[in-house]
Amino acid sequence: MAMKLEVRGIGKDFVIPVIDSVSFGVDAGEFVCLLGPNGCGKTTLLRIVGGIEPASRGSVLLDGLPVLADRRHQRHVGVVFQEDRLLPWLSLRDNVTLVLRPLGLDAAQREARAAHYLRLAGLQGFEDYYPGRVSGGMRQRAAIARALAIEPDVLLMDEPFGALDAQNRRIMQQEVRRIWAETRRTILFVTHSIEEAVAIGTTLIMLSARPSRIRERIRNDGGRERGKLIDDLNAMIMEEVERQQGDAS
Amino acid sequence: MSARDRAGRLHLPTLAALAVVLVGWTFLSRRYGAFVLPGPWSIVLGLVEIVRSGEIWPHAAASLGRIAAGFGGAVAVSLVMGLGAFVSRTARGIVQDVLAILNSTSVFVWIVVSLVWFGLSNWAPIFTTFMITLPVVASTLVEGVTSVDRRLLEMGDVYRLSGPQKFTAIVIPSTLPYLVAGMKVGFGLALKVSVVAEIFGVTSGIGYAMNYSREILATRMVFVWALVMILIMVATDKLLFDPISRRLTRWR
Repeated sequence: MAMKLEVRGIGKDFVIPVIDSVSFGVDAGEFVCLLGPNGCGKTTLLRIVGGIEPASRGSVLLDGLPVLADRRHQRHVGVVFQEDRLLPWLSLRDNVTLVLRPLGLDAAQREARAAHYLRLAGLQGFEDYYPGRVSGGMRQRAAIARALAIEPDVLLMDEPFGALDAQNRRIMQQEVRRIWAETRRTILFVTHSIEEAVAIGTTLIMLSARPSRIRERIRNDGGRERGKLIDDLNAMIMEEVERQQGDAS
Repeated sequence: MSARDRAGRLHLPTLAALAVVLVGWTFLSRRYGAFVLPGPWSIVLGLVEIVRSGEIWPHAAASLGRIAAGFGGAVAVSLVMGLGAFVSRTARGIVQDVLAILNSTSVFVWIVVSLVWFGLSNWAPIFTTFMITLPVVASTLVEGVTSVDRRLLEMGDVYRLSGPQKFTAIVIPSTLPYLVAGMKVGFGLALKVSVVAEIFGVTSGIGYAMNYSREILATRMVFVWALVMILIMVATDKLLFDPISRRLTRWR
């Protein structure tokens, strides 16, 4: 299968180098989780892949075409942020139909697509609610529905459940896994929780401490026992954190 | 409890305080005579009189017309300033500095200046109203424009919304409540200021009527016209601005 997403030698400096050089490829339909110690640039990497921020070096290819941090670029990327970023003055339905406008669909098509993806995200019956009237978990569901509705080439998720309580978090993890299985979208998912990554990702990419590189890439297809995998990853993160602190002193 | 419930409810302690004031007022009026302080009931009767005779309408209309011109102009210029402040950082700096200067200029300065420039004409109160309400409306609008959530605009970029789409879906809804709040305060100010400016040079309007009543020693009518002003202010707040801001924030 063709490579869907290719990250080639991406690096980013904010005064000091944050991301040294990161390269990896993602197949169509893969569910990749990006892991790493705090401050290693996971979110920055995701923003570069989404064309929200320019890289200091390297390139990102989506279906063979370069992604640029440029308003005119015809990228087709859905992003779910840490916060829901819904417009509070629009109903959940209108929040979804809004992002369908630039796609050139007519009103009926926009309505139909919004209804479809809101249902897929488990929001049937809540379409006319304002974001402020539903729970945080439901707002994040609506943000996922919005990202899916543009039928993106790749879906980027930046710690989307960070603000949810443990119970909602577990429910949403299962929901995302189900939605991924139903839509077969390519997903790049940033998380700091190893348990979360092991529970939902098909591929896990562990970044090193700052300036970050790829420390390890692991297939999570049930070949390795889950508890053992989590222990190994935890040990890796601890090593990286120690290295980062050693650098600082 | 919503704002509507609070507005509709007659607050018992307030009524009691009002009764005490009215009794005290009546007493003082008896003590010093109606020429110094007319009694409350005679003021209400005076209001009924000018409504019956129709005298109230041309003066109220003249004042409101001047406010519409001066305050309307201030709102229009504020919109341009707000747009400028949104588009460019430099423009925002300039606008904020200009508003700071206007904000610290006294009403009387503008009255005198407009008399010099426009003489005894309609334009004096209109210009004064414009100059006084502009900084109030514009600074709340600029504040609203600068408080637009950048993260929402970034979301708009991610989903490739066009400039006009972002403007109508994100910028306008987040600044409208600020504009309405600024207009509410600005209108109240416009009414107070234009009435003062009407003392000079014009022969119609509430301010003129009030000053004329003073000159012919009709103290009672001074109070009646003051009551007219208060009624206009309360009516626009309750019937115009409050319903608009309730409607704008119904998603809350």
